[in-house]
Amino acid sequence: MAHDGDDRGPAWRRYVRFWRGDATGDVNDELAFHLESTVDELVAGGMTRDAARDAARRKFGDVDGIQRTLYTLSRRRERDMARTEWLDALKHDLVFGLRQLRKTPAFTTVAVLTLALGIGANSAIFSVVHSVLLRPLPYANAERILRLSERNGQGSMCCLPFGNFYRWKSQARGFEALGATWGIRPWTMTGQGEPTPIATVLASAGYWKAMFIPPVLGRYYTDAEDREGAAPVAVISYALWQSRFNGDTSVVGKVVVLEGRPTTIIGVAPSAYILAPPAEQIWVPLAPPAWRLNDFGDHELSVYGLLAPNAATVTAVRQLEQIEMPLAREHPNMGYDGGVIATPLVDSVVGDQRTRLYLLLGAVTLVLLIACVNIANLLLARAATRNGEIAIRGALGATRGRIVTQMLVESLLLGVAGALVGLGVAVVGIRFLVTAPARIPRLQYASLDGTVIGFTLLLALICAVTFGLVPAIRAARLDLQQTLRDGGRESRGAARERLRQALVIGELCIAQVLLIGAGLLIRSSIALEAVPVGFDTHNLLGISISLPQSRYPDPARTENTFQQIEAAIAAVPGVASVGRTQAAPIYTSGWDWTAMREGSNGHDDGAADSDMRFVSPSYFATLGLRLLRGRAFTVADGPEAPRVAIVSKGLAARLFGTADVLGRRISNSGAEDPRWMEIVGVVDDMHANGLKQEAPSELYMPATQRMNPGFTFLIRGKVPVATLTPAIRRAVASVDPLIAPSGVSTMDQALDRTLAMDRFTRWLLTLLGATGLALAVVGVYGVIAYFVTQRTHELGVRLALGASGASLQWFVVRQGLVLGVVGVAIGGALSLAAARLLETLVFGITTHDPVTFAVVCGLLSVVAVAASYVPARRVTGIDPLEALRSS
Amino acid sequence: MARSPIDLLQGTLDLIVLKTLSWGPMHGFGIARWIQLTTRDALQVEEGSLYPALYRMENRGWIKAQWALTENGRRAKYYRLTSLGRRQLVAETKAWDALTGAIGRIMTARRQPG
Repeated sequence: MAHDGDDRGPAWRRYVRFWRGDATGDVNDELAFHLESTVDELVAGGMTRDAARDAARRKFGDVDGIQRTLYTLSRRRERDMARTEWLDALKHDLVFGLRQLRKTPAFTTVAVLTLALGIGANSAIFSVVHSVLLRPLPYANAERILRLSERNGQGSMCCLPFGNFYRWKSQARGFEALGATWGIRPWTMTGQGEPTPIATVLASAGYWKAMFIPPVLGRYYTDAEDREGAAPVAVISYALWQSRFNGDTSVVGKVVVLEGRPTTIIGVAPSAYILAPPAEQIWVPLAPPAWRLNDFGDHELSVYGLLAPNAATVTAVRQLEQIEMPLAREHPNMGYDGGVIATPLVDSVVGDQRTRLYLLLGAVTLVLLIACVNIANLLLARAATRNGEIAIRGALGATRGRIVTQMLVESLLLGVAGALVGLGVAVVGIRFLVTAPARIPRLQYASLDGTVIGFTLLLALICAVTFGLVPAIRAARLDLQQTLRDGGRESRGAARERLRQALVIGELCIAQVLLIGAGLLIRSSIALEAVPVGFDTHNLLGISISLPQSRYPDPARTENTFQQIEAAIAAVPGVASVGRTQAAPIYTSGWDWTAMREGSNGHDDGAADSDMRFVSPSYFATLGLRLLRGRAFTVADGPEAPRVAIVSKGLAARLFGTADVLGRRISNSGAEDPRWMEIVGVVDDMHANGLKQEAPSELYMPATQRMNPGFTFLIRGKVPVATLTPAIRRAVASVDPLIAPSGVSTMDQALDRTLAMDRFTRWLLTLLGATGLALAVVGVYGVIAYFVTQRTHELGVRLALGASGASLQWFVVRQGLVLGVVGVAIGGALSLAAARLLETLVFGITTHDPVTFAVVCGLLSVVAVAASYVPARRVTGIDPLEALRSS
Repeated sequence: MARSPIDLLQGTLDLIVLKTLSWGPMHGFGIARWIQLTTRDALQVEEGSLYPALYRMENRGWIKAQWALTENGRRAKYYRLTSLGRRQLVAETKAWDALTGAIGRIMTARRQPG
């Protein structure tokens, strides 16, 4: 028996086998051998060859069946072997890679931390983007829901008058349901724990049909319950059910007193209905009174439409416009021109947060890119010290593929470690982002879920390949013989150095783009905060009080009570003055009213859209809003006195073209019988809707002439006003102990809320910009330090030849300066182009703001020089003799 | 060839093959012949069933196959025991001895049960 392991017959058969697979060929050969041997044996015993062949097969059994079994068995074996081989190679690479990383703990730590920071920040921002922008809305038919608004020239109105909505509702055909909501108001719930104000949404029955999610418990109300005179019902939010009713299932059918009216709870809505805090909410029917249905002027209702299945948006909207057009003709100058604007619900929910969030994601991606470039540079430097090892591996027969794989596995190890630590960074980041003071819908649902973890791992993989491939390919292209001859030292140092310099320049470019973008937005945000509001916001407290109609059915008595409360608050020691309005500026926008000047037919420029506020006599003095002409309201402007109004400078100019308007008369042109009001004063403009918004045209009427069941009291303190809150609450309770004031906060807090998102973005961008800058510094430092190390010999020679330390330092610093200048020049050009993306986000400056560009360019150049100065100082420490000897 | 009614117990074929290979590497045909000769045809192994057993044992790592030339210059697949297979043989031999011993004691029992 010969035993020659490698003999497998003629060479060509191996190739044939290769193509059809070793498995089947081997099986066939083996069985053929067996059968032929049996035949030989039988023939030797005297049988004819044909008979022997039959006998051999009989003796063998089911040849075909066994053959098939063997095919299966050997294929399985080959699969197992391939897998084992692959796993063995991977295991080897992993073990080897881990050993390599352990051998250089400083490098590994820096790389992993850099990566973790970049990846973690990305994951955190991505989790917010995912939660706010990418996740589908929770409604059953979310893709068919449209936010509907009226067109007003170039713009659109947020809200519809009742009259228009109910006309749409009765006549529209392209919609399965039309729903409307009317703001959120703090209604007091009694009969269930302490009387507390709870955010109450007035929503039509259609709201539940359009935005359907099955109720947790009970049901939603119907059209029959959503009409004037119907028994009051309410749907409560899941969180309210849990906190106030302990999740008791018997809550359905329970009667609570809501804003003074016994109201039956009929259902619990799932928490998915809450797009933004507070989570404790109540929904009650709109139940519009009859007169409201003829109101075609006050824009009150946010309207949502569920498109009928198979209905086209365009057709459905055009049909709405056919209803809206005649209304616009009948009621001109009411803030709508007959057009209807439909926005997909998700766009209207997300609003302008989309740009901002993508911007943050972009910024954080740039930071990650810089991090990757840094690691690539570190790997390149490290690869240089490993040339000897790689050359030996190559010489020992490792293929280029194996070497590249080995290097990539090391990068992957770094990537995985970075991702794991990065997940920790992300957890902290998300926790921080979720508590952002800014109101972003669905932000509260951001978390480290499967998608975010998947994103993180994918990101790590992409990073690992990005920063790992260049050094890996370089390593694989190493000239073995040359390197081995050189004793493992770099043989193509110049090329590698150029690559590293190119990487640093790229890194500086990215940092430049990042810093310019951040700089522009930071400057915008500062410019925004510098805008004067128009009145003194400091030490001003706002509290809201509403008197339930059930206990205060008489408007005159209601107004009287408010006056008593105002007097009681004014009497609190430490209170300087108090005024009230039904819609406090900054806290909320004024009521939308159309003001018409006397003598105008309503179709010319004699009418203007305005924000209307009922105010008490002391309102202007309390705010410190400048009275430009005429007088403020007085107690004499009572219900029986002639009707009077005060206008803002802007409204006066729009209606009359002059500020000299005392004695002129205006009206709300929507009234059938215009009741003229005489203008008795003109006050300054103010940014009542936030600093970013233009100062609106303001129309003020005396609270004493226009009764309202709810007011916000603005209280100016002589002492820090927040400390007066308990005394003020007691003062309110002294008038009516059942009243629960809500929304107690200072004007500065309210202003902060409007600026919160801007400040938050600014803060994040500062953080990201600083991180990017720091990484770029590390990058420049690394390259220059390496430059010095590589040239120790050359520098030593120069020193020996009498070059001064200073001139050599300059020689080194110049390298950094060149990198900086080239990087800044290219980065500046890129930034000019990229800054255009910020067009809609900058405020008060242009996207080519010279200050920002100059500061960032200067900063980066200085930083590049500073980062090279540190290694340059080492030059003077070089001992020429030592340097010469070492080579 | 004389027919014998003895069927192989489950798993016994593995033991026989391992034992056969313990003398040295051999191809499938050789194993079949060796069994036939040694048992003097007492065991009727359907030759074909030998091969799946060989493949399974190879997959388990008990034996290893290698192509080589026979004395007649033909290519044949030779199987040899691996160290794992050797350990398996020892274990199975012990089990077999225990089984045959026990059955032998029963078959030669002199006392009536009970």
